[in-house]
Amino acid sequence: MAGVRINHLYKRYGKDKHAVVQDFQLEIKDKEFIVFVGPSGCGKSTTLRMIAGLEDISEGEIYIGDQLVNKLAPKDRDISMVFQNYALYPNLTVYENIAFGLRMRKLPKHEIDLAVKNASRILEIEPYLSRKPKELSGGQRQRVALGRAIVRNPKLFLMDEPLSNLDAKLRVTMRMEITKLHKKLGTTFIFVTHDQVEAMTMADRIVVMKSGVIQQCDTPELIYSKPANTFVASFIGSPQINFINGKVQENPLGRLEFHTNRFQLKLHETAEDILRKNNQVNKSVILGIRPENVKLEGLFSETIITGIYKENELMGADRFLYLDIGQEKPLIARVDPDNRFAENDKVKVELDLSKAHFFHKDSGDRFK
Amino acid sequence: MLILSVVMILPIIYIFNHAFKPYHELFVYPPNFFVQEPNVQNFVELFWVTSNSIVPVSRYLFNSLLISFLSVVGVTAVSALCAYPLSKTPFPGKKVIFSTIILMLMFTPEVIQIPRYLVVSHLGIMNTYLGHLLPVLALPVGVFLLKQFVDQIPDSLLEAARIDGANELIVFARIIIPMCMPAIATVAILAFQNSWGNTETSQLFMQDDEMKNFPFFLSTLTNNLANNVARQGAAAVAALIMLVPNLIFFVILQSKVISTMAHSGIK
Repeated sequence: MAGVRINHLYKRYGKDKHAVVQDFQLEIKDKEFIVFVGPSGCGKSTTLRMIAGLEDISEGEIYIGDQLVNKLAPKDRDISMVFQNYALYPNLTVYENIAFGLRMRKLPKHEIDLAVKNASRILEIEPYLSRKPKELSGGQRQRVALGRAIVRNPKLFLMDEPLSNLDAKLRVTMRMEITKLHKKLGTTFIFVTHDQVEAMTMADRIVVMKSGVIQQCDTPELIYSKPANTFVASFIGSPQINFINGKVQENPLGRLEFHTNRFQLKLHETAEDILRKNNQVNKSVILGIRPENVKLEGLFSETIITGIYKENELMGADRFLYLDIGQEKPLIARVDPDNRFAENDKVKVELDLSKAHFFHKDSGDRFK
Repeated sequence: MLILSVVMILPIIYIFNHAFKPYHELFVYPPNFFVQEPNVQNFVELFWVTSNSIVPVSRYLFNSLLISFLSVVGVTAVSALCAYPLSKTPFPGKKVIFSTIILMLMFTPEVIQIPRYLVVSHLGIMNTYLGHLLPVLALPVGVFLLKQFVDQIPDSLLEAARIDGANELIVFARIIIPMCMPAIATVAILAFQNSWGNTETSQLFMQDDEMKNFPFFLSTLTNNLANNVARQGAAAVAALIMLVPNLIFFVILQSKVISTMAHSGIK
């Protein structure tokens, strides 16, 4: 049982000075479930592999518990790792796969047997112990890989996209099982994924990365409701958040309004405060609003805009409307599936601006 | 294909039949394909007659079997030990080394006979089993084959083993070798054929007759018998003895070899 402390971690390959991981700084508490999420090539797996000891550290420090592990071999770090392709030893039976790590540590036979049986009971793979990995289905293999990881009782679990080779249905089940496993074991988990749903559903805290730099590290709720910048806002949430480019202007009554080339919106008081505090009056900003906060005509007439209906996606419980509002991208509204429109219909929608975010036009940072 | 395979198998059947033919059948014209009155007289001749000579045939046979066994073990071990780092460990000059090995595939053995002779004579291993073994130990095609195989083993498997606490030797012995068994079987067959039929080391490096191997004995036997009637039966048996171990070896490892071919075909 241990936390992890990462100080100013860098990873550079060869003489190429561009770092794939830059100034990575994070403190992971004991028993925490941390998810690294980001698009491919953002450095999340590299960071994980540095924690595991599979990649050299170019600069910075990694502590597991209170121990500096920079120079420690993977096997001496008391960690275990689950790989995307399961990495089961194909020539060994399930039992031997799980027992491998214990045999390497020269544990007595009866202890190995006990540990393997115990792990296989937790993961419900007891009937398959004598089979070879190739005789198992994807989900079963993933369980065996988990079994191999938990049997050693490590300080830290590392998982590198363990669910991405599974089909959608199985992924949901395994997601829950891993969360359950985390609760049962009470060990620190670091989980790498590119799937925002996995990040949102499993994590205690999410670390969103882009181009080797941490964009935001927060609880799933805060990542969703208070994204640090446009990247985080657009990466988390499906369908994507709407961005509307416009200008903040003061009307004769002294209230702030948001002007685009097609419409004007009266801003919410809290938004006004934030924009004034950040000196954004008469400046261009990006307004971010999630599709669920765009509703069909409602009470607040001040924030109703008209869009031209272009297409829709029916998701069963919701219908996503794509409306042209004179912006680069259509505005997405999440509405009741009973609403049907014909192409080029004019649709009035109301924006719930109390839930809107404002981002800096160039840096993309959210104004706080 | 079926007709072709029949044509291919004819010489093998002929060798088997020939060895059991009595003298009058060996020289009958037109020659019979199948033996009419099979007997073991030729075998008796080969082993009994030559047992009175300075070096009995059994000695040649023993030499051949020992050398072949050692070379199979040696070549597979050397090839695998060479292939693993070439495939999985980054080190400077790796590409150059591998290219050199590939280049070696293009040379016929005759090209390097003289330097080989010099190496063996300077090492002072003339007339020893080592002199038979060392020149055949490096088998470029074996290294190449195994490297291609090891390349296909995912890195994460080795990483998982390292995290599990295995050192390089255990990774090699418990993961790499078992996963490469088909390729290793193929290399073993190649190594066996290479050394079982090899007369070069006997001719060049062995001056003592008792250190020479069976194929060398066979070649002297048939050379002297070019236009001779005597000992034709013994020669027929010797040819059979040359063939049989190859056949047995191949049949044992055949399933593995075929899976190598399938493997390299798909991926």
